[in-house]
Amino acid sequence: MKWMCRLAVLVLVVLTTGESRATEVDYARDIKPIFTEHCYKCHGPDKQTHSLRLDQRAFVLAGGDSGDPAVLPGKPNASHLIQLVTSTDPKQRMPRKAAPLSDRQIELLKQWIASGAPMPGDDTMQYKRTTDEWSFSALTHPKPPRVDAELNNPIDAFVVAKLNDKSLSLSPQADRRVLIRRLYLVMLGLPPTPEQVDAFVADPSPNAYEKLVDQTLASPRYGERWAQHWLDVVRYADTHGFEMNQPRNDAFAYRDWVIKALNEDMPYDRFVFDQLAGDSVGVDAATGFLVAGPWDQVKGADPKLRIQQRANELHDIVSVTGESLLGLTVGCARCHNHKFDPILQKDYYSIKAVFEGVQHGSRPIQLPEAERERRQRLSKQVDQQIASVEREIDMNGGNDGEINARRNVDRFEPIVADTVRFTIFVTNNGAQPCLDELEVFSCPPADGAPKNVALAGAGAKATASSLLPGYKIHQVEHLNDGLLGNEHSWIANEAGAGWAQIELPNPVLIDRVVWGRDREGRYEDRIPTSYAIEVAGPDGQWRTVASSPDRKPGRFMVDVTPEQAERIKQLRDRKKQLQQRLDKLNQRATVYAGRFEQPKPTHRLYRGDPMAEREIVAPDVISLLGSLNLPPDAPEQQRRIDFAKWVIDPANPLTARVMVNRIWQHHFGAGLVNTPSDFGRNGSPPSHPRLLDWLAGEFIRSGWSIKHMHRLILTSRTFQQLTKPDDKALAVDRGARLLWRYPSRRLEAEAIRDSMLSVAGVLDLSAGGPGFSLFKPNENYVRVYEPKTQWGPGEFRRMVYAKKVRMEGGPVFGAFDCPDAGQSQPKRPRSTTAIQALNLFNSTFTMTVAQRLADRIVAEAGNSTEARIDYAFRLVDTRQPTAEERRIARQLVADQGLPALARVLLNTNEFLFIP
Amino acid sequence: MSSPESISPAGRNLLDRRQFLAHTGTGLGGIALSWLLNTDRLLASPASRGPIRPLINPASPHAPRRAHMTPAAKRIVVIFCSGAISHVDTWDFKPDLVRMHGKPIPGSNKLVTFQGEQGALTAPLYPFKPRGQSGKMMSDLIPHIAQHADDLCFIHSMTSKTNTHGPGENFMSTGDILEGFPSMGAWVTYALGSEADDLPSFVAIPDPRGVPQSSINNWGAGFLPAVFQGTPFNASRPIRNLSIPKGVSAADDLAARRALAAFNAQHLQRHPGDSELAARIASYELAAKMQMSVPEVTDLSSEPAHIRRMYGADDSSNATKQGFARNCMLARRLLERGVRFVQLFNGAYAMGEGVGNWDGHKHLAKQYAIHGPILDQPVGALIGDLKQRGMLEDTLVVLCSEFGRMPTFQKGASGRDHNPEGFTCMLAGAGVKAPFTFGATDPFGYKAVENVTSVYEFHATILRLLGLDFNRLSYYHNGFERKLTNVHGRVIEDVLS
Repeated sequence: MKWMCRLAVLVLVVLTTGESRATEVDYARDIKPIFTEHCYKCHGPDKQTHSLRLDQRAFVLAGGDSGDPAVLPGKPNASHLIQLVTSTDPKQRMPRKAAPLSDRQIELLKQWIASGAPMPGDDTMQYKRTTDEWSFSALTHPKPPRVDAELNNPIDAFVVAKLNDKSLSLSPQADRRVLIRRLYLVMLGLPPTPEQVDAFVADPSPNAYEKLVDQTLASPRYGERWAQHWLDVVRYADTHGFEMNQPRNDAFAYRDWVIKALNEDMPYDRFVFDQLAGDSVGVDAATGFLVAGPWDQVKGADPKLRIQQRANELHDIVSVTGESLLGLTVGCARCHNHKFDPILQKDYYSIKAVFEGVQHGSRPIQLPEAERERRQRLSKQVDQQIASVEREIDMNGGNDGEINARRNVDRFEPIVADTVRFTIFVTNNGAQPCLDELEVFSCPPADGAPKNVALAGAGAKATASSLLPGYKIHQVEHLNDGLLGNEHSWIANEAGAGWAQIELPNPVLIDRVVWGRDREGRYEDRIPTSYAIEVAGPDGQWRTVASSPDRKPGRFMVDVTPEQAERIKQLRDRKKQLQQRLDKLNQRATVYAGRFEQPKPTHRLYRGDPMAEREIVAPDVISLLGSLNLPPDAPEQQRRIDFAKWVIDPANPLTARVMVNRIWQHHFGAGLVNTPSDFGRNGSPPSHPRLLDWLAGEFIRSGWSIKHMHRLILTSRTFQQLTKPDDKALAVDRGARLLWRYPSRRLEAEAIRDSMLSVAGVLDLSAGGPGFSLFKPNENYVRVYEPKTQWGPGEFRRMVYAKKVRMEGGPVFGAFDCPDAGQSQPKRPRSTTAIQALNLFNSTFTMTVAQRLADRIVAEAGNSTEARIDYAFRLVDTRQPTAEERRIARQLVADQGLPALARVLLNTNEFLFIP
Repeated sequence: MSSPESISPAGRNLLDRRQFLAHTGTGLGGIALSWLLNTDRLLASPASRGPIRPLINPASPHAPRRAHMTPAAKRIVVIFCSGAISHVDTWDFKPDLVRMHGKPIPGSNKLVTFQGEQGALTAPLYPFKPRGQSGKMMSDLIPHIAQHADDLCFIHSMTSKTNTHGPGENFMSTGDILEGFPSMGAWVTYALGSEADDLPSFVAIPDPRGVPQSSINNWGAGFLPAVFQGTPFNASRPIRNLSIPKGVSAADDLAARRALAAFNAQHLQRHPGDSELAARIASYELAAKMQMSVPEVTDLSSEPAHIRRMYGADDSSNATKQGFARNCMLARRLLERGVRFVQLFNGAYAMGEGVGNWDGHKHLAKQYAIHGPILDQPVGALIGDLKQRGMLEDTLVVLCSEFGRMPTFQKGASGRDHNPEGFTCMLAGAGVKAPFTFGATDPFGYKAVENVTSVYEFHATILRLLGLDFNRLSYYHNGFERKLTNVHGRVIEDVLS
């Protein structure tokens, strides 16, 4: 890539004279001759291979592309220069392709460095990087050119001015049938209904189109369509990826958050802030952004490789953050300074430090204050009801009943407890026992609610006899973290035995222990079936307060009458119902939005190697564009908050440009910058730089309103042109980058599928929540995704609600360039393959939908074949058939029936292309 | 009624390759071309040292394309032993491992690898014998493959960057341990297209027991256009949606296709000059061809009895072996018909440790007694069959695994843990030096020590054998000129004939 010109230049900004220290080694006499003879040819004033210069001290201290300082004054052996001149690896050793330095020369260099590496004249000189890269310069706020009084949309002014330069012009405006179809497909991913088309075509008002644009932007379908574009960029999926590729069942809340944010026209600056630091403002789902990428669940025992895995996780987060929000390939600076853009290796590690405390995983969604209070109030009531039922069971001589996997209550005489121990002797399958939570309830005062005093949040501490090693989801701390289910549980490391203990912060009167193996009810192994609960009071004496024999089915505390037994049975049923209600109230929904912990310091890594730690770096931003001024040990959340604020600062030259370009791209198929996640030197330059800057400025002026930008673009003449090619224009601008016509293009996979269901009248528009599956159920620990082959209403929601399986394209529609969510996909390729044709022509999905479409036509178009054919074309292509088409259709329907026509129409180019 | 052949002259023009090339610089073909390449930057001139992005006709993206240099091999089959086959029990003979059986690895006390602590060095579970003229030592686990020792080139000094299966398979198949990078087969068909115009240019043949551990990522297109992804099918599981839908007769299906072609032709007439529309029309024609040719190629009944016997396809005592043998025969038939890249998997996803693939952590002897016979005779037969048909002259055969296994048994177990520090891959056929052994592991087979090489170099070498410059074949994505070998790689010249 040597043909690429370099853009980062070093500029000396401060030149002062420092004093030289007297040393045994003299720079001028001993060192400079070595540099002159062996180094300056490649690393001197005329040439700086790998950006390294050795003729000025500032450059020596800054080092070259490796990111390592060439010299660490006082530390010869740690200095990169010495490592390179003494290396035994011929690929590393300097000088390259020449005789090595003599031992004497190396010794001199070492002494010189040991003495502080003095060089005359410049030892307090500082340096600063600058760049001439357009995307790093401030927004220019250009005024729209004056080209034509009739063009009052600034976008048109910019576009036409550029076209005029090449003696081109805009194409004529498309007719209303084309306009409404284009608008619906682009903005909603669904074709308009015949009624919508008729209404628009017949609308006499002069602003009919503007009204239609407003209606379209107000449709909830808009967010569902445009969220997909963003989800592509953040490589969102509902599974983890890699070998096991298990489901990520609570990721969908992030997907729903994105849809909602777009539908509500959330200002883009807030949209960005929440995704980076939403946990600081009570928007938990938004940080799903940080951990949307693949995550390898298989963690080896080899510590070196585990460190490498973690480094790769963070690399993924750093890279996608840089690409998605800043349009910069920050990830390229992991091993050395960026080859094309002014991003230092240090900058990469500064940004890594921002995210160093982000761990893959789920967190509970915080509820709004009012909702939390409501639930607390209700759960107190239900809890009291349960207590009274339990008391009645007690009075009748019963107990809690059989042990189950979900939740068990052991009630006992109130006792003052310091410590509560749960000792397991046997499990149902002999395996190491598992508890997802161990709750200890205080005995309430007459008017208060019982409280779980075992929570870590309340100051209690969990300990255990042992822990099954190697599983993040199984930890001793999970015994009292308030999170339920297998994902937040403890497993002992002893077959069928073990104990767990809760030390309470203060002695408290308790009367119940509640425990379960998996309160989400997915696992039924490892259940303690023989156990004892002991309590130690302030006196330190242990007393057994409950044990498994108390619970044997049919066993009662005292002899009971048949009436009592019957009553106990009823009470137990009642209790079960109440319990379910309580579980539901207490259930804290989680979202796969990352877990945050205060990290250890971040080091710069030589050549990106986690085993080669260099200096500590503080959380920060790209140094050329500012600084957060945070200390290396800044609080975790503060790092992300400050980073987010820097990203959304209107002075940041990249954020607005990158986003308006993405918005533009999905209207026209290509961005003004055709490399939407690379605004660096290696990306493509903007086709309309002034327009891009005007749009970016307008975006900020509008309060970062995405819908405002849509409205501007959609109401431009540029958007409303015909697609018809023109020989003269083709000769000048084959790809229509200058927009002398509207570029037609094939719909994406999701829009094709949704449109098929929509015209068949079976699209289920229920929004949000857990997704539906395109694959058959599978429980193997290494998940196997076998596509479904039968399709019904359960799979008729919009495809954005299909569970996205990483690396699996999905049946039928995956072949239509559906991203695999492995890497960020800011711009989908559009290929045309025989597999697409086979899938769309022969799949059971198409045949099912074709049948439904035929059914709909029969139901709505009456008995005449002609009317049915007409209606089929109106539904699918929003127009009447031509005479020739009618003739072909008639023959097809006569020979094979209406479903065959439906099958064919759903495969036509016209149906699949944005007109 | 219009036939599929009667699309408009404009459409015909677009489908014509010469017309396409003539149009590429200024005209119609380029519109979709720029889309396909996901960039509007100029193609590098072949004379420069810059990246080479092949020129692709969107209407026939699989048309054969020129290699960068004269290729030794015209096509390639990659036999992938999923789950990490043990090199020390098969083809990397270590006398010291026999001698030191039961002792700890010197200098690596209490070694912790993927699953945990290591126990003692353990001699190969199968006796090794000299094979062929060359006398290459290979074990009794693979007697049929061993018969072809003189045609094989062993690279004993392979290393990988990961010790977990998913990333390991990703690395071996795509050049990156992370998810979402284009597979080698996608790169090769992107560069070269195919000689078969009625079959997919890149076929992935999953094991009869199921898909391999990294599943689709082994043959995915990553960020390359989907047209270059592998098409998965094997001898018992056909291409999805290949056959005419249930309840539709062949005649009706043809009539429906003709109606579709007629509608599309009319539409194209109304929208002249859009090659993407023409490409979609062409894709239905290719699909129809595949409906004829794929069932023919997967129908193994025409193979004579002695061939079936040679592969072990008649071994009714072992259904999995039979299935894999049929897959091997299918691989040969695909290569014969000009398919560019065939990926043949031996071993599936994990359905229990060491069940379904070569991942023998705990009970290696018991597990390899199952996996060995499934692999050995069919692969031995495939090599022999290619040779007897003269196909080894211009076909490259690759045998690989994501990494190797430890020379020790795991502490408290009777199996071997993952070992990315030294393992073996093999090459055979066109352009490959054989019999030949390149590189070596240490005396126990633990770490590569002599001519240490990597997956990057292995890939660079494979590309060279196919006439491609690993350093120049590229695709622009998210700010990078992406390459199969990333910024790494070097051709292992020593293994070239």
